[in-house]
Amino acid sequence: MPERVRQMLPSVLSVLLALGVCWALIALTLEPGTATDAYLQMLWGGIGNWPAYLDGAAATVITRPLGESAMKAAILTLTGLSVAVAFKVGLFNIGAQGQMLLGALAAAVMGAQVSLPGVLHVPAALLGAALAGAAWAGIAGLLRIYRGVHEVISTIMLNWVALSLVDNWLVVGPLRGAAEGGQSITGTAEIQATAVLPRLLGEGSRLNLGFPLALAAALAVWVWLTRTRSGFETRAVGLGAEAARAAGIPVARRMGLAMALAGAMAGLAGAVLVLGTEGRYPGTLGAPYGFDGIAIALIGNNHPLGATVSALFFGVLRAGGTRMQLLGVHKSFPELIQGLALLFVAGRMVWLALLRRRNVAPAASAEVPRA
Amino acid sequence: MLDVLHSLLFSTLDAAPALIFAALGAVLSERAGVIAVGMEGMMRVGAFCAAVAALTMPTPLAVVMGMLAGAALAGVHGFLSIRWRSDQVVSGIALNLVALAGGTFLLESLYGPNGTPPIQQLTRWHIPGLGSVPVLGALSGHSAPTYLALLLPFAFQGLLTRTPLGLRLRAVGDKPQAVATLGLSVPGLRWGAVLGSGLLAGLGGAVLSTAVLDRFEQHTPAGLGFMALAAMVFGRWTPVGAFLAAAFFAFGNALRIGLVSSAPGLVELIPQGVLLALPYLLTLVVLTLQGQRSSAPAALGTPYEQESR
Repeated sequence: MPERVRQMLPSVLSVLLALGVCWALIALTLEPGTATDAYLQMLWGGIGNWPAYLDGAAATVITRPLGESAMKAAILTLTGLSVAVAFKVGLFNIGAQGQMLLGALAAAVMGAQVSLPGVLHVPAALLGAALAGAAWAGIAGLLRIYRGVHEVISTIMLNWVALSLVDNWLVVGPLRGAAEGGQSITGTAEIQATAVLPRLLGEGSRLNLGFPLALAAALAVWVWLTRTRSGFETRAVGLGAEAARAAGIPVARRMGLAMALAGAMAGLAGAVLVLGTEGRYPGTLGAPYGFDGIAIALIGNNHPLGATVSALFFGVLRAGGTRMQLLGVHKSFPELIQGLALLFVAGRMVWLALLRRRNVAPAASAEVPRA
Repeated sequence: MLDVLHSLLFSTLDAAPALIFAALGAVLSERAGVIAVGMEGMMRVGAFCAAVAALTMPTPLAVVMGMLAGAALAGVHGFLSIRWRSDQVVSGIALNLVALAGGTFLLESLYGPNGTPPIQQLTRWHIPGLGSVPVLGALSGHSAPTYLALLLPFAFQGLLTRTPLGLRLRAVGDKPQAVATLGLSVPGLRWGAVLGSGLLAGLGGAVLSTAVLDRFEQHTPAGLGFMALAAMVFGRWTPVGAFLAAAFFAFGNALRIGLVSSAPGLVELIPQGVLLALPYLLTLVVLTLQGQRSSAPAALGTPYEQESR
């Protein structure tokens, strides 16, 4: 078995096992038939209802679900990259959620309160969001570098600070949008038309520029990590900070920059959410995509492209999840699949031990994701 | 004035136990060297199982069920992080995600979105004669967990600092190799601590649904498990410190809720969001000031390998 396949196997098996366990869960609490139907609904809701399309239904039965999947996959890719980039330098970024909130807020403010020509408005808002996320993650990076504060604790705290300050103060207070047409609104003011991420498939589908943007970001991160000097140094720091320091690599700078980049990715995720689908910072940002990023990155083996693949997969499931509602299964069900898959991936050593026993292959390099 | 203080104290004593138990659980686990990010998930499972169990059995027994459920989840954490030396943060986060989505799924498919049916709350104890004393009277009229939460931290502190078992627990978090040299089992001690932390987190969750509320709600415990981590850090990883920090956070929260209803003008001046962020901001400040001299156990987060002496 090639090494590359062996590396991927635990993730693939974990996802399959999670799918099986969750099927059994529905079968036990509802009915076996319902479980299979629910999975089919999830599939059609995610990749489009191809049977109906082939029977002559309008093309929107394909493009609408695909748009939803792409939208979710774009956000998951970016938060997954955020966690994966930090991992590469040896830091565990649990703070993607907080960084995403800040990015979303920055994008909402830039989108609504700054007037720029169309070509510049979207890039400016994206840049603002990336900087906001980078700054928020930078706090954790600086605390780690200069004060030795463990980033797991500091990013958890920063998440709650961000949530409290943004959702319970800024968005309901100073930055709350003015009433429109006599009706008060929740959240910030609506962004201007020039700041909206363009839709790619017309109005029938919410597929927007955020999707190619996320894919490009993943590709850029991969190229940076594998093909540039600073990317190589970043990985060296992650594999062994002391050895890297001895080799003359500026460890503190690599850590700081990687953390800032992680924050920027999470910030972009917030921007894609606000500029692409929400149109404003809503009363509360809802789904915890930042925490999902941890699952996405680890299931993707902390590889930028692996994270992208896992984001695409779970994007499809998550978009399809809304259709399971019809059968009495809560729409957050795919999150359960995702959580279980992460749990099984955490048992990576168990998988490797099982695989080794089976086919007496040469000892696999036990590269465990390390905090 | 005394009335205000009385009611503030009373609501603090009602709300604090859940946070105190979870914070103590976090201290227990981390002092033994196992990171406790899974508190939130264990609390949620404890809260859910206690609320469901209370539908068919006496509430005190249901609380025990909640504790066992918390310990069961902690068992998964132990299996992955102690037996298989997985990353403790990954396994904790995974448990949080599973508990969050799994709780929602089970709630929805078994009881509908509005939470479980109401249950019999834990009985409130009225201490004779105390009820009419000003301010101190706030101590009367709570359920058993409140009184346990006031005593347990001190017992735990005694155990940790004055007994051989406590010494071993601390040693296993600071220098596990030394414990192994004494012929003691590092995994055994860590298993004990992790299961104990699961029991405590489960108790914290169970208290939420049997004493604070009378059912399991969709969002329980709404971040309390993470606030418990903040209390643990703020209290410098000691049981009494974590208890004081948890009580302080709970008091601050009671004060905030009191202010919103009684003095909206002041809330205008200091926005609620800032007050909500305060426990976490304070924890960050404390961490920044402590820096390298932080009191975190030395071997925290490092899986123990017999061969790595």
